[in-house]
Amino acid sequence: MAGNLFTNFYETVAVILFGIGFTTLLLHRNMIKKILGLNIMDTAIYLFLAAKGYISGRVAPIIVDGVTDPVNYVNPIPSGLVLTGIVVSVSVTALMLSLTIRLYRTYHTLDIDEISMRSKKEDF
Amino acid sequence: MNSNYMILLPVLLPVIAGLLIPVIKPLNNRNARNYYVIGIIALTGIFTVFVASLGDIHLSLWKMTDSLEIYFKVDGMGRLFAVLTAAMWLMSAIFSKEYMKHEHDESRYFAFFVSTLGVLVGLCFSGNLITMYVFYEFMTLLTLPLVLHELTKGSIAAGVKYLFYSMTGAFLGLGGFFFLSQYADTLTFTEGGVLNMTKVAGHEGLLLAVVFFMILGFGSKAGMLPLHGWLPTAHPVAPAPASAVLSGNITKMGVLAIIRVVYYIVGADFIRGTWVQYAWMGVALATVFMGSMLAYKEQILKKRLAYSTVSQVSYVLFGLSLLNVTGMTGALLHVVFHSVVKNALFLTAGAIIYKTGKTKVSELTGIGKEMPVMMWCFTLVSVTLVGIPPTSAFISKWYLGLGSLETGISVFSWLGPVVLLVSALLTAGYLITISIKGFFPGADYDYSSLTKQEPKAVMVVPVVILTVVAVVCGMFPNSLISFMSSLAGTIL
Amino acid sequence: MELVQNFPFFNIVMCLASGVIASILSGKNARRLSIGLVSVVGIMSTCVLGYVLKTGEFYTYMMGHHPAPWGNEIRVGVLEASMALFFCIIMLLCLLGGSKYIAQDIEESKLNLYFVMINLMLSSLLALVYTNDLFNAYVFVEINTIAACGLIMIRNNGKSILSATKYMIMSSLGSGMLLIGISMLYDLTGHLLMSNIKESVATIAANGEYTVPLTVVIGLMCVGLAIKSALFPFHSWLPDAYGNSTASSSAILSSLVSKAYIFLLIKIFYRVIGLHVMIDHKITNTLFAFAIVGMIMGSISAMKQHDVRRLIAYSSVAQIGYIYMGIGLGTTAGMVAAVFHIMSHSASKSMLFIAARGLSEVSGNSKDFKDLKGAGYRNKIAGIAFAVGAFSMVGIPLFAGFTSKVYFAEAAITASPKKMFIAMIALAISTILNAVYFIRATISIYTPRNEHFNDPNFKLAFTFRVALVLFIILNFFLGIGSYPIAQAIEKGLAMFS
Repeated sequence: MAGNLFTNFYETVAVILFGIGFTTLLLHRNMIKKILGLNIMDTAIYLFLAAKGYISGRVAPIIVDGVTDPVNYVNPIPSGLVLTGIVVSVSVTALMLSLTIRLYRTYHTLDIDEISMRSKKEDF
Repeated sequence: MNSNYMILLPVLLPVIAGLLIPVIKPLNNRNARNYYVIGIIALTGIFTVFVASLGDIHLSLWKMTDSLEIYFKVDGMGRLFAVLTAAMWLMSAIFSKEYMKHEHDESRYFAFFVSTLGVLVGLCFSGNLITMYVFYEFMTLLTLPLVLHELTKGSIAAGVKYLFYSMTGAFLGLGGFFFLSQYADTLTFTEGGVLNMTKVAGHEGLLLAVVFFMILGFGSKAGMLPLHGWLPTAHPVAPAPASAVLSGNITKMGVLAIIRVVYYIVGADFIRGTWVQYAWMGVALATVFMGSMLAYKEQILKKRLAYSTVSQVSYVLFGLSLLNVTGMTGALLHVVFHSVVKNALFLTAGAIIYKTGKTKVSELTGIGKEMPVMMWCFTLVSVTLVGIPPTSAFISKWYLGLGSLETGISVFSWLGPVVLLVSALLTAGYLITISIKGFFPGADYDYSSLTKQEPKAVMVVPVVILTVVAVVCGMFPNSLISFMSSLAGTIL
Repeated sequence: MELVQNFPFFNIVMCLASGVIASILSGKNARRLSIGLVSVVGIMSTCVLGYVLKTGEFYTYMMGHHPAPWGNEIRVGVLEASMALFFCIIMLLCLLGGSKYIAQDIEESKLNLYFVMINLMLSSLLALVYTNDLFNAYVFVEINTIAACGLIMIRNNGKSILSATKYMIMSSLGSGMLLIGISMLYDLTGHLLMSNIKESVATIAANGEYTVPLTVVIGLMCVGLAIKSALFPFHSWLPDAYGNSTASSSAILSSLVSKAYIFLLIKIFYRVIGLHVMIDHKITNTLFAFAIVGMIMGSISAMKQHDVRRLIAYSSVAQIGYIYMGIGLGTTAGMVAAVFHIMSHSASKSMLFIAARGLSEVSGNSKDFKDLKGAGYRNKIAGIAFAVGAFSMVGIPLFAGFTSKVYFAEAAITASPKKMFIAMIALAISTILNAVYFIRATISIYTPRNEHFNDPNFKLAFTFRVALVLFIILNFFLGIGSYPIAQAIEKGLAMFS
């Protein structure tokens, strides 16, 4: 069991990072740290995907020397997925940051619990 | 046009005509509206009788899903309940004409009052379980505005309580429907039941429990333990003509639903001699006794009458639980008699409230001097309900007692008649005392303050008619008895 | 290949493109564009549905001439087409009904942005319905989340921004779990197209390999989608998000966004993992348990609310529980019931949200039941629509909610005995609780009080009336004419596997 963890250390690290990011996003009160958690979580997934796509000893599938045999190349699909994922996570992060700026302008704090309390007192 | 479509006439006419009341402008005029209402109800009554006379017709209207079909069928049981309901509705409507003058929002009241009649007729003519359930739910919904007519906090609370009990009961019934649909090929009402015994084999225990819960569920409308709680709360807050039909007719729809389930779906043979029958008898008897006791102790007149309903309708349920022809005959007779009597009693109570504003029994001393005709009717129907020979309820109770002895079940066969007797005594105690105090107020009554309070003829006439019916039925019951026993004979 | 087969793809691209176009239009024109777009998409979806019904077979639409297992595919069957059509109808009615309030609640200069969000939302909904590619589904889940977030925050006051933030946090958690689930599944099977994954999963499951990873994958995807569709313990974001946004947004969020995720989950059940594998991994039982708790807890929370919007929102929690219960039964009948309830709940809930906004408009814009008393007389059509919606939620016969409850009960009866009893009891309790709070609410809006809110100059928007009347008709149609719809759903589910 422990041996498995060691040989698949990319995946192990990815899952640990995912956990860190997930808990930060879920439990931290500071909005900025929540966003950091979101990014850690996403990055962990990209690490996982990249690790899955890489086959040791092979190179990126770009034909330079006329070698067309797929045996020489790594799997390119996970890299494509990572790229797409990065685009998505960038937009989500941007949206979250803009929401945070709005919240800070309205409530002058980044603490989400504090904001909730203040917004409950508002009456409209 | 196919004559089968006639079934829809007494169902749709009052529903549509009723819901139009707040919409049509000329009906804002009180007189116009009153004649419109009475006209529609009388017309519905005529149509009901007409449909009932057409013979055994049936109509398959619409298929909602594979198992849900809206299906109407006219049979003996449906005829009895439909005609009874329409007649009582007419009486109550005539009474409402005057009574509702001291209430507000008359057009809303009449809108729901009239459309409820259509739903009830539809319920009587339902041909399968799901159609009945649909009308049953709509009955609850349409009577709800009658209960919370006053829109005070108390009446809304009563309305919500009514809704809660009815929904609970109806859902027990609906749940039973889903179970039964697994064990029957069809859920069309058929004399003797539709269970497919090969499918049932091995699941009798489950099915018995289902039947018991269905009886309890539909029993909530009939005011049977343990779901009787809404009756004494809901009836007193409703306007008197509404509580009259609630008590006299809506509760009977619970009875009809139980008859349909037990005799037309499950079949009496399936539960005869099982724990379900014994438990049902026990619950019914307990309700009879408890209802009379609570009525005896109650001081508010309408509440006392409501408790009396709890007790009297359970007479009917007890008769049904006997599962023999004699008991069934007694039960059906009591359905008719109690409906007539309870309508008369509630209308009298309404007249008292309308003229004097008195609601407590203790305030009614000397009331017989103030409104003699009304109180005479009250006294006569009370005597009838108590069951002093040769009045009507005596006959039904006699049959109930006979039926009970006939079953031969060790404890219940003698316990039944005993409880019926004790309850009859209590009935005398809580009804006749009102009349006695009303007519003989005692030496210290101040005759100088006496004023004639007799209400207008429109209020008196329905009560007098009901009284006459109650008394005459008791004197010449033979044709009624033979009709009931032949009806009971066809399904047992 | 016939022209009509291209329509699903055209629709998605049209929506995306008009999202871009709407950003440079004025608010009014953007609104016209959106409404026109939704109508056109609806008409085209009808054609697609007709075509699929006629041929009686599903078809796959290849993107960019890359054949499976490499290319990106769209797959159209009866269920997909009818869902697309249904989503268009609901969205159109929500936009019509709430258009006056959109203009009231949103700054003039930002109005076109709202419709950008609407167009993007529609494109993502269609893509989620049609897609045959799991990663593509993920991308559109994120687009959907962002658009939904935009719909919530567009009111631009403290509360709605906070609600949007909360929604965003929970959604991000959900999408994170979905994405890692998809990645792991890709790792296990080497495919991203749903049909190919299903074959691989079937082989893996048959050989008994990778049982634990497969369970983890299923769990991650289900929980991810459950968070996003607000299944019971993950519903904390829902009442705020539905309660504080503009009426159309709440209606669209409750009736379309959460339902699209559930539809994706059903697709995952049938098209990705396979129903049997799902049942073997006990995920149906887990969902069932959560659903039952949700059905009851949602109703109990709703009973405590004094705010009409929050009451409707909490009732959504209970209703989502119903849908998951249908899925959790693990039978085809349960799934049919769940899909039907997606429809009937969408129709009723969006009507309730729009009607509630109309009622509070005539009560000084208050959402409290104290002020709403008598609102049913001041705004008649909204009162009737609210009553119809409430009756449908309670499950009164002839209304949509009753029919779906019948389907649930019939499905429950044929399931295993344990689930049957639990489901029946939960249905009963939840129905009674629903009845208590919804009928109380209806009584409350018909209690004649608050005459001071009477405004002789008050005029209802024409679109509001039309939308509510259509909603009521739709509700009755689902309640009475459910037979062909249920048959179409069954046919569609059969095409899934």
